Amino acid sequence: MSRIGVFICHCGENISRTVDVERVASQASLMAGVAFSTDYKYMCSDPGQTLVKKAIAEHNLTHVVVAACSPRMHERTFRKAAEQAGLNPYLCEMANIREHCSWVHENREEATQKAIEIVGMLIERVKKNRILPTITVPVTKRALVIGGGIAGIQAALDVADCGHQVVLVEREPSIGGHMAQLSETFPTLDCSQCIMTPKMVDLANHPNITLHTYSEIEQVDGYIGNFQVTIRKKARSVDEHKCTGCGICITKCPQKKIPNIFDCNIGMRTAIYVPFPQAVPNVPVIDRENCTMFKSGKCGVCQKVCGPGAIDFTQEDILITEPVGAIIVATGFELYTITEKAKGSPIKGYGEFGHGKIPDVIDGMTFERLASASGPTGGKILRPSDGKEPKQVVFIQCVGSRSREKGISYCSKVCCMYTAKHTMLYHHKVHDGQAYVFFMDARVPGKSYDEFWRRSIEEEEAVYIRGMVSRLYQKGDKIVVMGSDIAVGVQVEIEADLVVLATAVQPQKGADLLAQKLGISYDKYNFYSEAHAKLRPVECATAGIYLAGACQGPKDIPDTVSQASAAAAKVMALFSKDRLEREPIVARVKEATCVGCFACKKVCAYGAVEEKEIRDRQGNLLKVIAYVNPGVCAGCGTCQATCPSKSVELDGYTDEQIVAMIEAL
Amino acid sequence: MKKKKMHISQETMDVEMVRKVEQLSGTSVRRCFQCGKCSAGCPMATFMDHPPNRIVRLLQLGQWQRILAGRSIWYCVSCETCSTRCPNQVHLASIMDALRKLSWDQDGPSKESYVQLANKLFLQNIRTYGRQYELRLAAVFNVKSGQFLKDMMLGPKLFAKGKLKVFHQKNKNISEVEKIFSRIDEMRRKGEAL
Repeated sequence: MSRIGVFICHCGENISRTVDVERVASQASLMAGVAFSTDYKYMCSDPGQTLVKKAIAEHNLTHVVVAACSPRMHERTFRKAAEQAGLNPYLCEMANIREHCSWVHENREEATQKAIEIVGMLIERVKKNRILPTITVPVTKRALVIGGGIAGIQAALDVADCGHQVVLVEREPSIGGHMAQLSETFPTLDCSQCIMTPKMVDLANHPNITLHTYSEIEQVDGYIGNFQVTIRKKARSVDEHKCTGCGICITKCPQKKIPNIFDCNIGMRTAIYVPFPQAVPNVPVIDRENCTMFKSGKCGVCQKVCGPGAIDFTQEDILITEPVGAIIVATGFELYTITEKAKGSPIKGYGEFGHGKIPDVIDGMTFERLASASGPTGGKILRPSDGKEPKQVVFIQCVGSRSREKGISYCSKVCCMYTAKHTMLYHHKVHDGQAYVFFMDARVPGKSYDEFWRRSIEEEEAVYIRGMVSRLYQKGDKIVVMGSDIAVGVQVEIEADLVVLATAVQPQKGADLLAQKLGISYDKYNFYSEAHAKLRPVECATAGIYLAGACQGPKDIPDTVSQASAAAAKVMALFSKDRLEREPIVARVKEATCVGCFACKKVCAYGAVEEKEIRDRQGNLLKVIAYVNPGVCAGCGTCQATCPSKSVELDGYTDEQIVAMIEAL
Repeated sequence: MKKKKMHISQETMDVEMVRKVEQLSGTSVRRCFQCGKCSAGCPMATFMDHPPNRIVRLLQLGQWQRILAGRSIWYCVSCETCSTRCPNQVHLASIMDALRKLSWDQDGPSKESYVQLANKLFLQNIRTYGRQYELRLAAVFNVKSGQFLKDMMLGPKLFAKGKLKVFHQKNKNISEVEKIFSRIDEMRRKGEAL
């Protein structure tokens, strides 16, 4: 026999204004199974909670119904109060008579009647509630960071500094990411290398960090606190332990004319190479597609000159498995290219800007390499076609971004600022040159950002022209840019020596494939989705996986670093406990009736459904059925709704409870 | 005015002239970010071919000839609403002054402008008589502008109210007034004044 306590809240006047709370309380006390019923002005306040606790003890209550606001607001509050009074928290339910009743009705009589009915439903429901034990899962206190750009580096350092082991996986031969390519960074014009490379060295030397460069994620199994990650270490053809980084192999390599991707294909590199001189680790890698040894079997110069004998042409990819408790995804971005895209791709190229065939039409990252002291031109701004110093440079913003036509409707966020920076860098290096910027809006929110943008115009003499460029074409050695100044209302034509396009920020190629391996969700552009845009911006909906940097959306360096540290803080909170407590609102499979159709497995967004073998005492396989891993299940209930044989039940929301509520009406 | 395509280059952007305008007006045109508040509040904007914001925009692009080709600067009544409300402290009224001065010096395309003619005659009168001689101003203006009967019907009313005198009234300290004019002429020659 249940002894239910019913507590009706006035919520100041929010509820009592339209609902006669005293009458609800007195009506509730007459309902079957109710042992105690009362009302109070603010049930969630300290005296209100004490009232609930006292009543549980004095009246020996077995269940509690609090009729107040939405359970989203205060369910945890009252369940905690019930727990403190010695009751299982899942025997406490909330009846929502505020959002569902008082706020949406005006007629006091009818609203009161509805409130009574809502309370009645919850009373019937709570009778069917079961004691649910809190689920705990062990936590492996090691973190995996995917991506070695500034986001990954910051997150890895933060977690490692807290004393936890970190495994960092980077696809390229060196960590550093896009930030290592930049010349100077807004809004203070710090040299990117100067602020970046010390962090890279810190990371490489950190006793708690294991670094896997030239490696990719092969497979991810498990769940929060207990992931098993398989990493493919690609064949570097150079033994990382033997190599001293002397670089003699690079100087002797006869293949010297391979476009260096790190320098946006302006500079050249050898077949055995480090992407840039400050690379971490400073261990070369052989580009097997271009190496003569791999193409024709003849050469091997690097092997001959290598003192420590680190060159190993027979090296193969190896797979390693790392157990980790949390994953931080920091895979970053790439830039949109204006070249014609393959058929079927949702993103189109720019025919009006020459489809990338005019050599002096470059993107922002290429300009960064031109302006960088460690770049292919040694920091001189020289145009790619003939190596001349351009005197008239046109910058075009929003190339790709904010264009539904081209397939990207979002704003890439960083281009306004980096274009302003580019005009400054150009003005600092070419004093008699003139920079022009075609822009639609200047979107420069951020500390000291607007001032920075204004500086580029007021002090560094960039000419900003509001209006988009319609077309550009080669004419002699000039590029004719056709735009319009919408403030004046006339067409504008500029004969430029160099055109720099601020192309859109896009997720890395294959971002969707990685998301599928991780079981995290992503949007139509392949940016990874956070659990809540405002209140859970660094967590994935999948427990134990966190996001940092531009893989979640276009982001500048300050935002990326903040998000990386935030993700690290979330990981540290997870690692602060030996066992992880989870809400026991999870699905359970009735083994007797499950036929193993795995319809539930197909619909589960969290990868919580596993296969389980049922064997008899002799060990013969009877059937394979579904099993919901309580560590992974998020309690969404999709499997319960899908199961054709009604074999899945979501604890706390069983069919029995729902039917009891309906019957109470 | 026909909207001609603008070819922008270091040659076509007359930065020197813009610097001069900035120097004369004591304000920076680069500061303007084209919010349009000046044009929004300008009582004369509806009469102008280039609204005030576009004047600043054309200056930013070094296209002062386009401004002088139009009549906007002569419609400006120097009420200074634009300057008062500008969020970037661009003193547009001073810029207008500077542009009018430049137009004057350049024998600008708006030389034939009646406003300019009126201004010129106004100052000539002051210099000659030490104060204004309205009847002469009106007569000479009408003759020179070729509008012989312009505002003729206002004459009797003004006579009746004593606003128009038949003979001029000389200022007692005419030599002091002449000193002012000649000092300004001197300063102009040295480039110290507008």
